[in-house]
Amino acid sequence: MNRIWTVCRREFISYFQTPVGYVALGVYALICGLAFVLSLFMYSKVSIQPPAYGYTSIPNFGEALISPYLVFCGILFMFLSPLITMRLLAEERNRGTLELLLTWPLTDRDIVFGKYLAAVGMLLLMMPVLALHLFLASWFRPLEPAAIALGVATVVLMGLALLSLGMFISAISRSQVVAGTLTFGVNLVMYIAGNVGEKLPQRNPAPEGWPEALRRVIGGVWELFRGLLTQLPLDAHARDLTLGVLRPHDIAYYLLFAAFFLFLTFRALESRHWRGK
Amino acid sequence: MIEVVEMTKRYGPLRAVDSITFTIPKGRITGFLGPNGAGKSTTMRVITGFTPASEGIVRVADFDVASHPLEVKRRIGYLPEHVPLYEEMTVSGFLGFVAGVKQIPRNERREEIGRVIERCGLTAMARRIIGNLSKGYRQRVGLAQALLGNPPVLILDEPTVGLDPRQIAEVRAMIKALGGEHTVLLSTHILPEVVMVCDSVIIIHRGRLVYDGAVPDVQSGSGSLEELFMRAVAADVSDRGERATAEEEIEP
Repeated sequence: MNRIWTVCRREFISYFQTPVGYVALGVYALICGLAFVLSLFMYSKVSIQPPAYGYTSIPNFGEALISPYLVFCGILFMFLSPLITMRLLAEERNRGTLELLLTWPLTDRDIVFGKYLAAVGMLLLMMPVLALHLFLASWFRPLEPAAIALGVATVVLMGLALLSLGMFISAISRSQVVAGTLTFGVNLVMYIAGNVGEKLPQRNPAPEGWPEALRRVIGGVWELFRGLLTQLPLDAHARDLTLGVLRPHDIAYYLLFAAFFLFLTFRALESRHWRGK
Repeated sequence: MIEVVEMTKRYGPLRAVDSITFTIPKGRITGFLGPNGAGKSTTMRVITGFTPASEGIVRVADFDVASHPLEVKRRIGYLPEHVPLYEEMTVSGFLGFVAGVKQIPRNERREEIGRVIERCGLTAMARRIIGNLSKGYRQRVGLAQALLGNPPVLILDEPTVGLDPRQIAEVRAMIKALGGEHTVLLSTHILPEVVMVCDSVIIIHRGRLVYDGAVPDVQSGSGSLEELFMRAVAADVSDRGERATAEEEIEP
């Protein structure tokens, strides 16, 4: 436990010995702030004259403002997380310090958890910005403290999953740039897939005239494909959570996602034992 | 203290180290010689547990590297070949981190860090950023992290590369002083260094052990180390013919 903490502390401090930490935090705070202000303006315009914007009455504050804003913050983290995770293991490998790390009396567990916790520390450092925004919002329209907490927790859950994925990619890459670009690409594809998935028609794409058995097979495959596209992307499970609808499978999704890629990171680090044998 | 038994390390079809066997008793300083790409660094990496052996057994202080890596790593101070360091940290910050990693008790840390900083001549550089240090000082920082915690076994991969003549003399004197209590395996290209510092010498060539014994004494008439080295390397080439081993070109 002590060794995990030692690794974590060095990693966390080094975010701020280079500009990375400041850039990530600053950009995140700036864009979240802009998004919050703009959505607040938009909401106030809509609530003055709902019919002009296609609403019959003033839209629900939580549904129309808070939830989309929080989902946006999670998605924004998708694009900033490579900045935090890309260096974790790729840089050690690139600089050769992995040789030190792996010959000091540390276990793989100390290294992987230490580094992951440092990245999570960065994520948590970003959250006060969101909490502040939600607090300001509650000044206009009272929000339940539990809803604020759940909203921030949802972004944290998304972040945990994204950091774990990013660390795995960093573990298999030789350079930071490759790791960062790959992570960014994977996140972007996931995001696009989610958007495409939502627009896909629900009905069976096979023409009516085709034999019933074939239609059923195609329908099944289509349903599976559509399900994967709508359920797998990281932001899909955040919408209900940010509305304050607590469903175990949404939380389990993020935790399992994070655990899965942590597991793969261990295997990637372990691969030195069997590669080239 | 260090036992290597029929150890082979393959990189794909290449045998970087080919079934070598040697033992280094406690307290002995052993020079590790060989031409470029002979497998010196690979052997050291296997002993320190950075890369696993393809075959054979490596034991340090009676602990098998493969089955008890943590016990072995606790007993080894290792200076890798190109001295990788965390560039953005200060010297004392880095050594503080290493002291934490090596689990030196909190109340002894300051004293221990002070000891290695003084021993490696880093007192004036303690607050400097490692990335701004010259090659010689980086080398000393690498040495300092290896010495931290006073491990009984030291594996030093070319510790005097990049140092000026005065520093070389200092480092050699330091390593010589480590003998007796510490077991040292020291790789180098400089033959006189081995004569000056080491008690015994191991020569490998193209991954094979070609000499393991005392440092030849010119006075006793057994010929110089240079002659021995040339003979050992030449003899191996003639009996083994062409073999492809290139350690430098393959990253593990």
